[in-house]
Amino acid sequence: MTKTLVVAEMAVREMARRRVVLIILLLLPLAFYLSRRGDQLGQSIRFVCLGLGWALSTAALFAGSAARTIEPRLRLSGYSARHLIAGRLAALWAVGVLLSAPYFLLVRLDQHDVRYGAIAAIMALTVLVSASFGLALSVVLPRELEGTLVLLAVVGLQMMLDPDDTSARVLPFWFSRELATYAVDHTGGGYLDRGLLHGVLAVAVLTALVAVAFRVRQGRRPHLRFEPLR
Amino acid sequence: MEQDRRAQWLRGVLDLCVLGTLAAGESYGYQLAQALDAAGLGPIQGGTLYPVLLRLQRAGLIAARWRGGESGPARKYYRLTAAGETTLRQAATDWSGFAGRVGAILSTGGTAVRTAAGGAQ
Amino acid sequence: MSRDAGGAPGAHGYRRGPMRTDGWLAALAAELHRHGLGSDLTGHVVAEAAAHLRDSGESPLAAFGPPDTYAAAVAASVGGPAPAPRGRVVGPVRLAARGITKRYRRRTVLADVDLTVRAGEVAAIIGANGSGKSTLLRICAGLARPDRGTVRIDGRLGYCPQDGGVSDFLTADEHFVLIGAGRGLDRSAARRAGLGDAAALDWAPKPGVQARHLSGGTRQKLNLALARLGTPDVLLLDEPYQGFDRGSYLDFWHQVWRWRDGGTAIVVVTHLLNQLDRVDTVLDLTRAEAAA
Repeated sequence: MTKTLVVAEMAVREMARRRVVLIILLLLPLAFYLSRRGDQLGQSIRFVCLGLGWALSTAALFAGSAARTIEPRLRLSGYSARHLIAGRLAALWAVGVLLSAPYFLLVRLDQHDVRYGAIAAIMALTVLVSASFGLALSVVLPRELEGTLVLLAVVGLQMMLDPDDTSARVLPFWFSRELATYAVDHTGGGYLDRGLLHGVLAVAVLTALVAVAFRVRQGRRPHLRFEPLR
Repeated sequence: MEQDRRAQWLRGVLDLCVLGTLAAGESYGYQLAQALDAAGLGPIQGGTLYPVLLRLQRAGLIAARWRGGESGPARKYYRLTAAGETTLRQAATDWSGFAGRVGAILSTGGTAVRTAAGGAQ
Repeated sequence: MSRDAGGAPGAHGYRRGPMRTDGWLAALAAELHRHGLGSDLTGHVVAEAAAHLRDSGESPLAAFGPPDTYAAAVAASVGGPAPAPRGRVVGPVRLAARGITKRYRRRTVLADVDLTVRAGEVAAIIGANGSGKSTLLRICAGLARPDRGTVRIDGRLGYCPQDGGVSDFLTADEHFVLIGAGRGLDRSAARRAGLGDAAALDWAPKPGVQARHLSGGTRQKLNLALARLGTPDVLLLDEPYQGFDRGSYLDFWHQVWRWRDGGTAIVVVTHLLNQLDRVDTVLDLTRAEAAA
């Protein structure tokens, strides 16, 4: 437990030191929000949640990539994969909550006649999905540039694809639009159920992907054995 | 005299000069430096002298002991050992022979240059 | 020898201009210690220099030059550092590598290499560039896989690469806590151990300075301190002295001997040969044979 906490603490410290990146990430969802605030109030909620997802996924991607150089040493020092993954995810969740809180407040104060509970659910699931998504990209792809391009593609597709199209459900943030529809347009429970299910599934799949990819990248080392000699 | 060449020559003979100076009696570092200076070798820096003393001590040609304390601070005094005396005697002979031969070449060579410049043979 | 009156500090880090005698003598003592002179001889040399300065009234830099230059001259005259105290107990085997073979595409980098290191021993791996020194060490550290062969290690393992191994946005203190937690050390113990190893390499980490703001040589000192944190039983060092100045390089070898005397099994990859007469095993990969 201590090991996981230390990993999480250091991950948060690392992220907190990158001031410029943090400021950009903080303001990105705001830009998304304001872009639709004028005429389509409901759309602005959908956009701000997408913006949050993009910002947090980017933060997760860079946090994961930055840790690469020190990972062999961490492994040698006695950290197992689950410490490293759990610790980083915990740090990203903490940062995600801090990033989302002001935006939830913004929606609470600026928007009326919407289901706030559902919006809170969107943001919570977004934090969880983004953390695992960004981390997965950092583990699977060799450098941040490739990861950023994939993120761009995903967010772009998320905005362009018709959510009713079945292929749109493959995208990790599809739940965001379903739940937003439920919250803004006061539709029936179907949207809520589908949205929640997709969100939970996305978290599970992406987190499993992180675990598997991490183990694969660390590689087995069958030639090395720790045992008493003679 | 050209500084670099003088330094080169001194590097070759400093340890022998130290042996020669110690033949007169026990002495300590600064006193030795002053004696060598007075003998015409010029000022010898401590950074040059003490490593030489260490080498001679390690080779067994000189021996050292700490003295003083009553009339002043303790100082490390050096004296010649029997091996050192032998080495000094041998070196003195070797050196006069060597220096004589070098001197002959330099003076002959000088004459040859003057003769050649004069055009006579 | 000519020497300008104010001394020529160069890259030693000593102040320009007249140096107070006490400071100069203290620096001389430290430099002599670095060169491995015994404390008796160091005391004599320093006392004699002090007496000379008293008698002559000269400034230390004028009479002797910078402390490290004079110390080097003294060390050269004395004939190198004191020999290792014999009767040092050598312990059980800690690292046993057998039959390590590695090929990169068509080229055979390592061919059936064996290496055995016991607790309290130092092994040096030497060889030309590209002879597979770093590869062998990485295989022993478990960071690369050989095509054939096994590595068995009894105890905990520490590894210091030529660079890297450090997180840019964390401070030295945070590194110590992070690695220490992995080794089972609590925060204060980890900090103390890390700062101790740093001090032995002549580095006092300033609080709040991130690793990316450290110079290359200082980052490597951090790298080395982290490898050593938690006193592993086996220490694999791949030319960790990149960017070290001459004094730190000597400090590094001092640490190696001290860790060895403490029972660690150490493997050092190096192509600087001047310390080889003090190691226990030399593995020359260029000639692909082990010399004991």
